[in-house]
Amino acid sequence: MELYELGVREIVEGVRGKKFSALEVFDECLHRTLACESEISALITTTADAGRAHARQIDERIAKGEPLGPLAGVPVILKDNICTHGIRTTAGSRILGRWAPPYSATVWDLLSSAGAVLLGKSNMDEFAMGNTCSTSAFGPTANPWDLSRVPGGSSGGSAASVAAGYVPFALGSDTGGSIRQPASYCGIYGLKPTYGLVSRYGLIAYGSSLDQIGPFTRSVQDMDLIMDILARHDPKDSTSVDKRIDFTRREEKGERPLKGKRVALVEEFRDFTLDPPIADAMKRLIRIFEEMGAEIVQVSLPTVARYAVACYYAIAASEAHTNLARFDGVRYGYRVTTASGLKDMFEEVRSKGFGAEVKSRIIAGTCLTEPVRSEEYYVAATRVRTLIAEEFKRAFENVDCILQPVTPSLPSKIGESDEDAMKGYESDLYTLPVNMAGLPGFSFCTGYSDSGLPVGLQLVGPRWSDKNLLDIGFELEKVLGAPKIAREITRGIA
Amino acid sequence: MSDNTKLTFTPVIGIEIHIQLKTKSKVFCSCSADYTNDEPNSHICPVCMGLPGSMPVLNKSVIQQGMLAGMALNCTVQPTTYFFRKSYYYPDLPKNYQITQSDLPIAANGWLEIKDDAGNPKTIRINRLHLEEDVGKLHHSAADGRLEGAETSWVDYNRSGLPLAEIVSEPDVSSAREAVEYVTALRRRVRYAGASDVDLEKGMMRFDANVSVKCSDGRWGRRVEVKNMNSFRALERAIEYEIKRQSKILAEGGEVLQETRHWNDAKETTTASRVKEFYRKFIVEPDLPPLVVSPQWVEEVRGMLPEMPNEKAARYKEMGLSEIDAGVLTDSIDVAQYFEACVAAGANPLRAGNWVRTEVLRAVNDRQAGDRQVGEKQAGDRQFGVKDLPVKPDVLAELIRRIDDGKLSTTLAKNVFEGLLEGLSLDEAVKNSGAAEGGVNAGALEDLVSATLAANADVVGDIRSGKDTKGKKVKFLQGLIMRETKGQARPEEVAAAIESALANPENLK
Repeated sequence: MELYELGVREIVEGVRGKKFSALEVFDECLHRTLACESEISALITTTADAGRAHARQIDERIAKGEPLGPLAGVPVILKDNICTHGIRTTAGSRILGRWAPPYSATVWDLLSSAGAVLLGKSNMDEFAMGNTCSTSAFGPTANPWDLSRVPGGSSGGSAASVAAGYVPFALGSDTGGSIRQPASYCGIYGLKPTYGLVSRYGLIAYGSSLDQIGPFTRSVQDMDLIMDILARHDPKDSTSVDKRIDFTRREEKGERPLKGKRVALVEEFRDFTLDPPIADAMKRLIRIFEEMGAEIVQVSLPTVARYAVACYYAIAASEAHTNLARFDGVRYGYRVTTASGLKDMFEEVRSKGFGAEVKSRIIAGTCLTEPVRSEEYYVAATRVRTLIAEEFKRAFENVDCILQPVTPSLPSKIGESDEDAMKGYESDLYTLPVNMAGLPGFSFCTGYSDSGLPVGLQLVGPRWSDKNLLDIGFELEKVLGAPKIAREITRGIA
Repeated sequence: MSDNTKLTFTPVIGIEIHIQLKTKSKVFCSCSADYTNDEPNSHICPVCMGLPGSMPVLNKSVIQQGMLAGMALNCTVQPTTYFFRKSYYYPDLPKNYQITQSDLPIAANGWLEIKDDAGNPKTIRINRLHLEEDVGKLHHSAADGRLEGAETSWVDYNRSGLPLAEIVSEPDVSSAREAVEYVTALRRRVRYAGASDVDLEKGMMRFDANVSVKCSDGRWGRRVEVKNMNSFRALERAIEYEIKRQSKILAEGGEVLQETRHWNDAKETTTASRVKEFYRKFIVEPDLPPLVVSPQWVEEVRGMLPEMPNEKAARYKEMGLSEIDAGVLTDSIDVAQYFEACVAAGANPLRAGNWVRTEVLRAVNDRQAGDRQVGEKQAGDRQFGVKDLPVKPDVLAELIRRIDDGKLSTTLAKNVFEGLLEGLSLDEAVKNSGAAEGGVNAGALEDLVSATLAANADVVGDIRSGKDTKGKKVKFLQGLIMRETKGQARPEEVAAAIESALANPENLK
């Protein structure tokens, strides 16, 4: 087995036990990355020098017998909307130029002080707006399982790099499925934690009330380890909740490990069609759940099914247009020097700096919050959002989690735009409502289609049930097997 | 129109005041709020620069100061309030939106009492006090100091994120004079509460006025927002100017446009804003949860609110002070507290009031004027105040007691006070004033009176012959004697001794 194939736990144990050095792990991962990057383009920035220096430091600590963090020597990749002190952070946009933040996101502070070593910053849809990783100003990323297909988005670069074996874990952000959908497309685990569980400080915001940072891994136990470090109250994020969840402990279960658990299917989702591999996966999982002792029940979410998508776009765009207002060329980032006045400068910077998708959402947000329309759109959407959250809450009074697809179809070809509006709606239906209600969503790989593409599904739980979702995921992993690395990258080219 | 002259115009004015709340750090980050004299952009961080990914955290002391200011203005504190993002593009606004409570504020429904132009009590209702963040400062290379046409503009974000309270009045103000009285009273109360230093020179209090005029023939002018007033005088002149301008338009049959106008302090005119005022858009600030203040906290803060100037003045009047004295003594809480400490230390309230109002305040003013002249005072230094006087209230009380006990004359006491100002102890100051303490004994006084009368026989003759109808000549003699005793003698004893000597010339030695 190559070093780059190891998981988080194995690296931590190996480095501590001096089976291999942190630098060896980093160099192997870097080697794997460089070998694949020309095909996949998962990264915007590679931090080889800083990473090697950090890995050497860890090795020195080991040599001196100094105490080590719980992730000592584990290479990591961060989505490029997570601020890293002194390291270029672009959010996949031209408008940030070569901006290197003078501070780090709390999640990066936590990971780096735990000993994680940064290997790079990953590609993403511009400002996390998109689900293909193709709206990036730095070009598209390819799916490691089929290089002609998208890895999903917006955290496509992070998902692809974990699937391709660059690193054992990466961070993404999920505003409306941006962790869960690429995790599903790339055949790995992705957790969108409960809103407020992981600090957003230092995450370049898209829809602030929807955004949440979460990890990608190739094993549930690795997910446990990462969440145990990330799930901490942060006084710098006023929406971060002071609630400690211990992710490291897990009871050993017997024959029927999910006995007593109630797993729900959403009635309203039955009317929507799924690609056959996904529909098959749903059937298979229901059977597996029943075999493990869980009871399969139905819940009804009429408001969610009907209004969540429209209201999501109203709220996300309204928040986005304010979050993105600060990019004007005055203080940092891309700037036009030829403009003749302030207004011209604003116009030129924003016209040239933002891509089309971002512009369309800024315009939407601007319109939806106009004083004459705000009540009808933005304010109405926030009211419906309360109903959606209440509907979920009622549903979860009697069930432990919901089993549902992440997307209705497998990854599409790069450059193929989805013209079918209804298909677009359905592809949002399974992800966006989770963010609207601030719920945790766990995306896992169930297996592979005949064409060799990963097939993912999703568990959604009530707020703060993140650990419970991972416990169920852990039991599933025993049956389904852990996600695999897409080893034969070059094969997809043909 | 031939009957123009008969038309009368009634101004309707609402006032919006921004005050900088007194806190150690900015409203949403831990940058120091005191940046006076420091380099531009030396008090900034990712939060008050609005850097991507940064998030605001509401400073608890801002909430407290906001509550205090609201209570001082008789507002009700709202248990749950919200923050919004108010969007507009300007380079001094780092996020291109301002975080503000807007119309769901921490405090609402207050009032202040002033006197109207006829001298009758009048209530100005206060719609609300809401919290928000300040913006940075722009400097332009253009001659007129404005952004348009400037070759280069600089932004200093030291001020960005300072805590502001915006206080919005109802349109109850009817004249420029009332406006000034309203803001004066408001400033005094906010300062009493300790919620702000309200230093106008440092821009801690800025005014906008909404002025409209109603014509006696029933026509109304539209509301005009006048901005950019940074002093009481500017506020007064700007309102006067607007009332005249709008009245003239209506008198000539014209129409007053709804617009924003800028007060030009140098030209003393208002000009229509060149920047088009478009609707400002609001969304809920998703990075800040609703602000909830518990009833316990509200009560705790209420307990911190000192007695307000009006209530103090009423109490002083009950002690026997005149309305004017009570007004002067309560103008600043420091002076009022000095006076009260003096009374608490045993001084007679009337005499203490008189001393504080005259000698103490004069000493403070002299010192302030001296500081200004010397120019030593840097812009950031706190102005010399009554608290800084070397004469502490208990010492003044002791001085007053000695006057009351007849140990010192008022004149001599003033000399002693000068000594105290120079830092002497009371005993040293008394000694230094050149007089033995304890007045002049009766025998010595008689001798002095005899000698003085003898030396001024002509004056004595005039008095005797009844030429001193107004008593001026007696006063002249009295003055001579007082001077001889270095003010040590009691004026009434001197007067009595002169009278007695004049009545009994045979006793003259």
